[in-house]
Amino acid sequence: MPASWTLLIVLALAAAGFLIGRSRVLAAVGGDSRKLHSRTGYYGWNIALFTAVPALFLIAIWLFAQPDVNRMVLAGVSLVLAGAGLFLSLGRTAPDFRARNAVEAFVRGLLILCSSIAILTTAGIVLSMLFETGHFFTQYPWKEFFFGTTWSPRFGGGSQLGMLPLLWGTLYISMIALAVSIPIGLFAAIYMSEYASPRMRSVAKPLIEVLAGIPTIVYGLFALITVGPLLRDYFAQPLGLGTSGSSVMTAGLVMGIMLIPFVSSLSDDIINAVPQSLRDGALGLGSTKSETVRKVVLPAALPGIVGAILLAASRAIGETMIVVLGAGAAAKMGLNPFEAMTTITVKIVSQLTGDTDFSAPETLVAFALGLTLFVLTLGLNVLALYVVRKYREQYE
Amino acid sequence: MNDMRILERAVSQTDIKISARKVQVYYGEKHALKDVDVDIQDKTVTAFIGPSGCGKSTFLRCLNRMNDTIDSCRVEGRIALDGEDIYDKRVDPVQLRARVGMVFQKPNPFPKSIYDNVAYGPRIHGLARNRTELDEIVEKSLRGAALWNEVKDRLAEPGTGLSGGQQQRLCIARAVATQPEVLLMDEPCSALDPIATSQVEDLIDQLRSEFSVVIVTHSMQQAARVSQKTAFFHLGNLVEFGNTDDIFTRPHDPRTESYISGRIG
Amino acid sequence: MTDATNPAAPVERPSLLVPDARTAKRNAAEARFRAYGLSAIIISLLALVVLLFTIFAGGAGAFRQTFLHVPVTLDAAQLDKKGNGDIEDIKKVMTLTYGKLLDQSVQDLIAKQGITIEGLTDKDVANLVSKEASAQLRNMVLADPSVIGQTVDARVLVNGRVDGYFKGRVTMESAARDSNTSPAQLQLAETLKDKGLLAKEWNWAFLTNPDASDQRPEAAGVGVAILGSLYMMLVVLFLAVPIGVAAAIYLEEFAPKNRLTDIIEVNISNLAAVPSIVFGILGLAAFINFAHLPQSAPIVGGLVLVLMTLPRIIIPARAALKAVPPSIRDAALGVGASKMQSVFHHVLPLATPGILTGVILGLAQALGETAPLLLIGMVAFVKNFPSAPPAGLFDPASALPVQVYNWTQRADPAFMERASGAIIVLLVFLLCMNLFAVFLRRKFERRW
Repeated sequence: MPASWTLLIVLALAAAGFLIGRSRVLAAVGGDSRKLHSRTGYYGWNIALFTAVPALFLIAIWLFAQPDVNRMVLAGVSLVLAGAGLFLSLGRTAPDFRARNAVEAFVRGLLILCSSIAILTTAGIVLSMLFETGHFFTQYPWKEFFFGTTWSPRFGGGSQLGMLPLLWGTLYISMIALAVSIPIGLFAAIYMSEYASPRMRSVAKPLIEVLAGIPTIVYGLFALITVGPLLRDYFAQPLGLGTSGSSVMTAGLVMGIMLIPFVSSLSDDIINAVPQSLRDGALGLGSTKSETVRKVVLPAALPGIVGAILLAASRAIGETMIVVLGAGAAAKMGLNPFEAMTTITVKIVSQLTGDTDFSAPETLVAFALGLTLFVLTLGLNVLALYVVRKYREQYE
Repeated sequence: MNDMRILERAVSQTDIKISARKVQVYYGEKHALKDVDVDIQDKTVTAFIGPSGCGKSTFLRCLNRMNDTIDSCRVEGRIALDGEDIYDKRVDPVQLRARVGMVFQKPNPFPKSIYDNVAYGPRIHGLARNRTELDEIVEKSLRGAALWNEVKDRLAEPGTGLSGGQQQRLCIARAVATQPEVLLMDEPCSALDPIATSQVEDLIDQLRSEFSVVIVTHSMQQAARVSQKTAFFHLGNLVEFGNTDDIFTRPHDPRTESYISGRIG
Repeated sequence: MTDATNPAAPVERPSLLVPDARTAKRNAAEARFRAYGLSAIIISLLALVVLLFTIFAGGAGAFRQTFLHVPVTLDAAQLDKKGNGDIEDIKKVMTLTYGKLLDQSVQDLIAKQGITIEGLTDKDVANLVSKEASAQLRNMVLADPSVIGQTVDARVLVNGRVDGYFKGRVTMESAARDSNTSPAQLQLAETLKDKGLLAKEWNWAFLTNPDASDQRPEAAGVGVAILGSLYMMLVVLFLAVPIGVAAAIYLEEFAPKNRLTDIIEVNISNLAAVPSIVFGILGLAAFINFAHLPQSAPIVGGLVLVLMTLPRIIIPARAALKAVPPSIRDAALGVGASKMQSVFHHVLPLATPGILTGVILGLAQALGETAPLLLIGMVAFVKNFPSAPPAGLFDPASALPVQVYNWTQRADPAFMERASGAIIVLLVFLLCMNLFAVFLRRKFERRW
């Protein structure tokens, strides 16, 4: 409880500072607020901010870095800091003090701090994974990780941690997902923007986008209880291709469904960005609508669509829940799509859940896998964002 | 062989290429064009003039059914090309537009090479049996649009890389390549500088020898320079239609007179 | 220019009223293309319908549970041995005692109703009710000790297999092979149902109960998971929203165009596309291994979701700020407001609906996120409710999507129904949030 009490005391100090500062400057000019540089509230805010913010930051950072700190010490230090802030800012309070500028500079600093959290996050991701990956490579040769074709972790030691089977599973499933989502998503987008009546568009477009709002765990469950058994009973077993409900096909199909709205809404934006004058030009020459789309609109939109596909691919590679529930756990490098295979994300989950020992290579390998995943998706994203931005500039 | 065809066409040709009777156009509730009667002659440049929003572009777009692409638009009355009603249910607008080509206000070359831009129409309509014939059509069309000498060495470069005036002439070449009978031009010079404008105007004059040209323009001087017939539209009505000389020198309707003397517009 | 007089050779064309062969072919291609487009849309919508239908069909059962109504004589001699009604003494009596009492009551009920079924063993009778039923009975007594000594009509959960029989999951054939149930037990249940003593009833407990162990799927609920998700949403709301909006304001309104701003921008758009599991790894390394925050705690899950949600709040918030016309900023600056005043007094209020819409959609996405939470130990089996915040943020809890995953990993197929049921709860929450976002967008359409 002391943390909460400290918090309350700091806030109370700040509130008191606000009131004191405001009344003090008003008293200094005999109640005539026109003689002040700034409006009275700013003098109060100046004190409140300088009292509360540094102390609150101290508490937050200290608690984060060292949660088991002696709470009394923490309370003492932060109260001293709050008191110092109060005292100093109160000392500066005078009618000709530029309180508004001081408050605005302070707020601006806070805003900058907030926007740099994004960079901190990225740095955190990269550093945490680099650090542990480095750790991993001191215990396991990197060549065998990147080029090994066997994945068999054994917690007793003597594990083989080759990444290739996982990478193969990831790419295989992603390819199936893209093979499902690109034609369907693209054709849906074309139909929406070129053929559908406004009424149909206003109904079908939001409905397709509902697919994008459904959490991936739902798709995972769908793969596990519906699609998997269906494929097994009606395709894999009659064709003699496998007896497993979890398979590359199951995960790929369901992931494809998940990606449809992603591909279609991005393509829709991009197709709509193609100027109407190009369509008119083609129609005016006697093209049919489909000729206009295939020979003029799509080639013009191609870079943008490629960008959208790259983004979809990055999604597919990083997707976790669908493959955890739909693809299986067997690390294999086969071609049979009705066989269970596994992916990088599945193995990250399985190596990091349950009882984990952070000095064993079997656990640390997850960080190396995570870094690989991060680099792969980052590359795709940067490329995609670059392509899409170039495309947008072309028509702006 | 070409000469034979020209001969055949000369025989089959009637003087009036397009005749419009009692044409009404509605955009939803709005009655945009009322009772328009116009006869457009072959091998003639007909200009539509009038203040903006008067319906001249709307009427132009009726002539090759480009208005079909606007959902709320409805056309009534009869427009006939060579005596056949183009709004007949059996008419395929795709087939119609191959015979009534169109050039737009803003140059809109496709983001393809110059060659592919011109070859687009012949390809979709299957006008060439082989590459040689296609090359021939492209060259003829580019010559027809007075662009050949400027682009013959860079046919593979993108059409979007040309200057504004060149782009518009490329669009004209593209329309000519489909071998239409009528060429509709919707303010083709409004996005061009004076020099490019005069080049395109010269071109329009040359095109007259082969096509019936209909041009919408907001510039009276341009109408006077390039056209033989002029139609003046005002607030959705066709006010006056006649020889260009007559319209500009002896207008019958007081509204026409006000417009050409600059009092309305 | 002499070429102009001899353009491309004119082609003789037939009447417009007669379609030529080529046009017919092209129109057929057009019709095919259109059909592809339409079928793409139909496939997408069909997928949506099938997905929702299977989840709802599979999960609706979780909200209806089979209960047995059995008169239980709460024997004071066993439950309140000292006979003084002291709650502390009554608490000392364990569920085992209640279990025996319940077994006896069920036996009595069967005898009283004159039910005789061939091959019915005592074990079948004892297992008819859920293993959780004795705890239910005990809680009932602890809530109101005055019932001791009376005969009450207890409404207790029935075993998951028997419940499964009434939901079509268990058949007589499968029961014969199953050591946890028997055809005789199912016949007994059938008979009791005919007599109106056993029925499927609305099951509030699914929403309020905590998770239950492998042996008692019938008692499992999403109570702890809902609370855990709620706590995490609170963390996201109190951290991601102010930070995200502040960052958006800075980047859109104040940031100078320089390298640093560029880097931040590229960074944010990339972060929005980083796979969520990577945030889980970050959470594990930073919050648990480095900062030693407790595993399975909503605060850790919340912090991970904060980092993940930030870019998804910043991007739409910036779009909303950008949509406010510059004339409004100019007007404020023109009357002598500072840049800061023009933003906070004029631009921000106008952009609020747009920002809020983005915030809600970001929260909705965070609510459904599963993968990163698996890595920070939210998969643990949690039976106790976390206490009230802020202290409760550090107690172990579950989260709705993780609870779903958790149940899919259990052996008993009854947990699949639970998982689908939990998804229905999750989807209802998401639907409400999205409807609210749509409402906001409609209500505050742009006014300029």
